[in-house]
Amino acid sequence: MNKKLSSSSIIKTIIIILIVIASVGLFAYILISAFKPLKEVMTKAKFFPQEPTFNNFIKLFTSTSSNKNFPRYLANSLLVSLCAALATCTICSLAAYGFSRHNYFGKKALLNSMLFLYVFPTVILLAPLYKMFSSVGLVDNYLSLIITYVGLTTPFCTWILVSFFDRIPKSLEEAAHVDGAGSFTTLTRILIPVATPGLIMVLSYSYITAWGEYMFASILLRSNVNRTITQSLVDFAADQYIDWGSLLAGSVIVLIPVIAMFIPVAKNFIKGFTAGAVKE
Amino acid sequence: MNKRVHYERDLRKYLYILPLMLLLAFIYLYPIIRTVNYSLYKLPFGGAEGTFVGLQNYKDLFDDPIFWRSLKNNVIWAFGNLILQMVFAFIIAAILNTKFRGMSVVRTVVLLPWIIPTAAIACVIRWVLLPNLGIVNEMLVNSHLVSSAVNFLGVDNAMKTLIVLNSWKSIPIGVLLILSALQTIPSDVYESAQMDGANAFQAFFRITYPIISKMLWFTSFLIFVWGFNAFDMIWMITQGGPDIITQTLPVMVYRSAFKTMQLGFSCAIAVVIALILIVIGIAYFSLMAKGNRDE
Repeated sequence: MNKKLSSSSIIKTIIIILIVIASVGLFAYILISAFKPLKEVMTKAKFFPQEPTFNNFIKLFTSTSSNKNFPRYLANSLLVSLCAALATCTICSLAAYGFSRHNYFGKKALLNSMLFLYVFPTVILLAPLYKMFSSVGLVDNYLSLIITYVGLTTPFCTWILVSFFDRIPKSLEEAAHVDGAGSFTTLTRILIPVATPGLIMVLSYSYITAWGEYMFASILLRSNVNRTITQSLVDFAADQYIDWGSLLAGSVIVLIPVIAMFIPVAKNFIKGFTAGAVKE
Repeated sequence: MNKRVHYERDLRKYLYILPLMLLLAFIYLYPIIRTVNYSLYKLPFGGAEGTFVGLQNYKDLFDDPIFWRSLKNNVIWAFGNLILQMVFAFIIAAILNTKFRGMSVVRTVVLLPWIIPTAAIACVIRWVLLPNLGIVNEMLVNSHLVSSAVNFLGVDNAMKTLIVLNSWKSIPIGVLLILSALQTIPSDVYESAQMDGANAFQAFFRITYPIISKMLWFTSFLIFVWGFNAFDMIWMITQGGPDIITQTLPVMVYRSAFKTMQLGFSCAIAVVIALILIVIGIAYFSLMAKGNRDE
């Protein structure tokens, strides 16, 4: 009995190790390869660099020209993603509070149709959004991209926050009401602090979505200086002559902030995500 | 007096959802209406006003062999993704649902492929998969699993490679959803089943499946829809090529709007995709509603 148990637990351990390798093996390889000198990148692959170097990163950040300006793209992406995340958070908190604590005409239908929006491919929004933004002169302006990203993330994020707010007992607010707090004060002073895990999830989800988005950025931002980092990576990769060394370094730069941001909030993220799902 | 206060509060509550509603109208409702509208015009991209052509774009579309090929690709792509993702998501979720050391670390690590930007992987994966220099071929050849290097993004393999890559990236979402359902099953149910002499298969079909079946269907639905609509992975790695071997309908929409600049035609494809997915969505929701009634 004991022996059988241990052999099955060995198999389980092996499967878990395989799962972990499958999940992070590729990242590890990209991360390590970014430190390979170009001649190693362009010859038969070995897993570890023979002569590790920072050259790929240095080149990426120092050799800037009018149509390749990586530091600028990094700043663009940070700006767009941060603004999108904060705006998503604000709009979703307000809406989720409304949906959770007030009654509206057709509330249930509204909430459900919000999720149904995700059935549509976002590519169908592309041409009309481009036309709309260009008619008001917002093409090649970060604002158009920020508005689009907020639109993409709010339905899901509102849904998640509603389920968080729903679980906060109403007695907390009633006590505040007795003390004379208005409904907006109740939201900012009582509900938001209690729902912090949900808000962290919303912030990180919208930030990550904006950071990695490519399709809308490729159409809405058209000039060389305004590109996002994701867009510039794809452009590098489409060059006639591909500089794999810079591309590897660029991929690492795109990966690291997302992974670094995600790991500390992973628990909240999982909880927030599954809370919305299990409720159904 | 009292009534007026009540009325004002009634109006004020709409302020909370107003920003969201305006945004959704602006980003979804209006563009969707415009897409339907544009699909009835011959509309060169960026240019002046188009000319109204009625259903001509749809007629052209249905006469276009590229459309039928892309639709076929899209169906293969969506089902390939669905099967691969469901199988692996279920296995991984089942393992993560057991207790072991380092469980919370593994749960976080498993999610990483999903949260990272597609571009960061897509742009360098071609280098990783290169027939002559890539590490994958190096490993395969050295371990004698294949006799000569595989051209992963060539005519024969491109679709399979893309399906595997996209599944790899999307499996975590399936894991999360299925795991959340598995966690609602109390473990003592299995213990008593084991005491009654039930084997693993019986335990699955008698206990696990009935409890998580709804979530499995929901997850399948999501994976199918998201897979059907996926654009980034395909566009960034092959742009639908070689030739149109990996071109799905969303790629065709993008290409015809922004590469060959036929906006009206592109919108007609978009409308067709939307209709397909609306039918699938309605079918799913009515099946679920029927299931709820039967219970």
